[in-house]
Amino acid sequence: MSTLHAAALHSVGLHPAALHSVGLDSAGLTVDLALAGLTVGSAAALSGIGLVVCHRATGVLNLAQGAQAMLVAYLLRDLVVERQWPVWPAVACCLLLVAPALGVLLDVLVYRPLQRRGAGAAETMVAGLGVFVLLIGVVVLVWGAAPVGGAPSPFGGGPLVLPGGHTLRPDTVAQLAAILVLALTVGATTRFTPFGLRLRAVVDDRRLAELAGVDADRVSAAGWAFGSFTAGLVGIALAPYLLLDPYGLPLLVMETMAVAVAARLRSIPVAVVTGLGLGVLQAELTRFRPAGQLLPLVQAVQANLFVVALLVAALLAGPGLTGGRGGVDVPPARARGGRGGRAARAVCLVLLLLPLGFRGNDLRGALLVPALALVLLSIVVVTGYGGQISLGQAGYAGLGALGTALLMSGRVPGLPALPAAPALLFAVLVTAPLGLLTGWPAIRRRGLALALVTFAVGTTLSRFVFQQPYATTGLVLDRPAFLAGDRAFYLAELLLLGLGAAVVRALHGGRTGRALSALRDHEPGAAAAGVNVPGLKLFAFVAGAALAALGGGLMGMAGRAFDPAAFDPVRGLLWFAAVVVAGADSALAAVLAAALITGLDAGTVAGVSAVAVGALAAAIGRLPGGLAGLATAGAARAGAPPPTPPPPPSSAGPTGRLTPAGRRVRALIAARRASGGQAGP
Amino acid sequence: MTGPRPRSAPPAARLTARGVVRRYGGIEAVAGVDLVAAPGRVTGLIGPNGAGKSTLFDCLAGTARPDAGRVLLGGRDVTRLPVHARVRLGLARTFQQIAVFPTLSVADNVRVGAEQRPGRAGDRTARALAVFGLEAVAAEPAGGQPTGVLRLVELARALAGGPRVLLLDEPAAGLDTAQTARLLTVLRGLADDGMALVLVEHDPDLVSELADTVYAMADGRVVAAGPTAAVLADPRVVRAWGR
Repeated sequence: MSTLHAAALHSVGLHPAALHSVGLDSAGLTVDLALAGLTVGSAAALSGIGLVVCHRATGVLNLAQGAQAMLVAYLLRDLVVERQWPVWPAVACCLLLVAPALGVLLDVLVYRPLQRRGAGAAETMVAGLGVFVLLIGVVVLVWGAAPVGGAPSPFGGGPLVLPGGHTLRPDTVAQLAAILVLALTVGATTRFTPFGLRLRAVVDDRRLAELAGVDADRVSAAGWAFGSFTAGLVGIALAPYLLLDPYGLPLLVMETMAVAVAARLRSIPVAVVTGLGLGVLQAELTRFRPAGQLLPLVQAVQANLFVVALLVAALLAGPGLTGGRGGVDVPPARARGGRGGRAARAVCLVLLLLPLGFRGNDLRGALLVPALALVLLSIVVVTGYGGQISLGQAGYAGLGALGTALLMSGRVPGLPALPAAPALLFAVLVTAPLGLLTGWPAIRRRGLALALVTFAVGTTLSRFVFQQPYATTGLVLDRPAFLAGDRAFYLAELLLLGLGAAVVRALHGGRTGRALSALRDHEPGAAAAGVNVPGLKLFAFVAGAALAALGGGLMGMAGRAFDPAAFDPVRGLLWFAAVVVAGADSALAAVLAAALITGLDAGTVAGVSAVAVGALAAAIGRLPGGLAGLATAGAARAGAPPPTPPPPPSSAGPTGRLTPAGRRVRALIAARRASGGQAGP
Repeated sequence: MTGPRPRSAPPAARLTARGVVRRYGGIEAVAGVDLVAAPGRVTGLIGPNGAGKSTLFDCLAGTARPDAGRVLLGGRDVTRLPVHARVRLGLARTFQQIAVFPTLSVADNVRVGAEQRPGRAGDRTARALAVFGLEAVAAEPAGGQPTGVLRLVELARALAGGPRVLLLDEPAAGLDTAQTARLLTVLRGLADDGMALVLVEHDPDLVSELADTVYAMADGRVVAAGPTAAVLADPRVVRAWGR
């Protein structure tokens, strides 16, 4: 099992099963487990330090951290195992050269243009997800998608023996030392050096700091270099305990984001304590074994404590954690143009009808397109129309597929085994109200806070519902008998997709659609117009859950099995980025994105779709409105000027909170202006 | 315009605040304010920065909940109702920083307001567009319009919901003289039709021209209230306003 929990136990040579069968119960075990927990805990703490420092220097939560960690871990393994480099020079090259360079490169190419433009939290977030997906794609292209073992550890020696016979791995000691050094260095730098003052000024108000002569670009470049360096450190620290896996490892590192979120992206001591605490707690929980039915749940919590912590931390962080400085939740949509829209519609129609001429494996591969398009349509409804970021739609798709399988297998108490079609319908109806799981948190959250909560919900569903034994063994999932043939099933999928698109279109053109647009464009304005904002948000998430469940059910039927990996949260991130890249606010975007993802991977090499989607999403700063935006940009230029985003919330105004450094900068500017300087805007 | 008259104009209603208190941290931003906005009258709310005008405004509109005190609309206690529920009872507002929906057309912006109440939304939309002379730009995206037009779009949207009380937060900000004059005419007309208007304003000229009654606030309290001319001449108000 590739979880942080497994890594922790492995680190002291304990295997969960062995532990349970022996039933050890001594004070010595408590200490051993705590020491084991420190291994993962210190990696999480390092991850937290990196996220917090990077956020403080750049104002951006580095969502791609997990992918950066994975890239560095793969590179180190490649250098040491494949190219036979000595370990230490390889580590130095990875950590001191490659990782910081990667950070600076990302800053220059991706984040700086966004910051210059004053892009909102959502665009910055999409760019971060783009980098995440892009790096995963690159790793899959270079090193393949299959998990590999044998990641080197720089510490070859035997364990340190502590008084009492307890042992501590040397790399754990090194990680703890690294935490101490980094925390002290960062603390001293921000407090006592001129660079620290500049850093704090930039964090307060980038524009004002620049006007006062601070080179804000250098500050954020330093932030990204540091963030990337710690990401590499985390990757190298965790990799020896795990199989390197392009999807699994980034997700594990993303789970440790819980630590930074708990620290409100500000406090390094809180991040360190939380990281170490969670690591130790996770290890100690192994001993807690209640009898009876609770056991599987408790074991799931033990194995996925960081996921639970991320969910709790994201929920507790609440509305305050917006990430970035105000701005709208989704990139501003373009007014829809006539001609560009018509061309896109024609392209989509051809893309969907083309597979009817396919046979064999090609046709089977194409079965994914309409099903995935329905799942992506749910992202269009929730994010594109309603402006609510949802990174958890893969979870609802999985619930649709799992529900169908459970109903078909007669595993639902009180119900006989249902035929395929009623099972799918029933699963959709049951999943729809579960949309409240993300809809309810969305009422009071937006931007980054909402993104983290929905991601955590999706990950929780994946770990606690999909990856459990009952879901992975002995389930039947098949197509209705009259649709057993691939072509017939594809036609049925097209019919359902058409139906879904028609319903969504009717909805969007009517009263609900206008209210959703109002909600996306300006939430307080929508409420002031009388729109029931909480109710509308719940509706959007419920409708989205139903669409995703339908698509997920069809995906399962197409493959004739429930595959938990198909609804992996990381895949959900790729889907979200693909929809935003394709234009987000039209049903066509869903079809386009589904065809892009499926077609690229089937037609070329695995990983190409991730690279393409990731690169486009990372370039969102240069491509507002996505691909569809490009198509309609001509129309927009010919007609009215593009819509201006609504003004940011007043909290970002000139009277916002300033730290002493910020006030000093402002005073400086005021003085220059008074003396007739050119500094004023 | 030739659209049908409303079946019945919305019944007049009085907006009352009783002992409203709102704290932020340990500070009482609004420290027990009583206020009455009567139908057919324009009630001004003035005061220096930090006097608590905006907080009181938020308590009236529903974006903030008072820590103590009550807000009544036509005798009904709306203190605990969320924003949209107040709007549907006839308590509309506009924003100091313009709040329009840039991706919707001007007409759809207004229509969103009209559609939240039962009845013929199309008629109400057309009427509101006509009142503010917005027919010519009705089909254009709101995002590209100049500030002056957007102010009117926002007002038209509020009006399309059939409000009985209209809360206005610096409605003339960003308008030129001609636009302001037109706005004043429209607002005066609404009040004459029986609507209760509450006007938060920095510009003393606008207040003296439009308001019938004025409440002057300082440090979270009402320091002077009464007929406009009297309040504006009050020494405490003059000192605070520096004129």
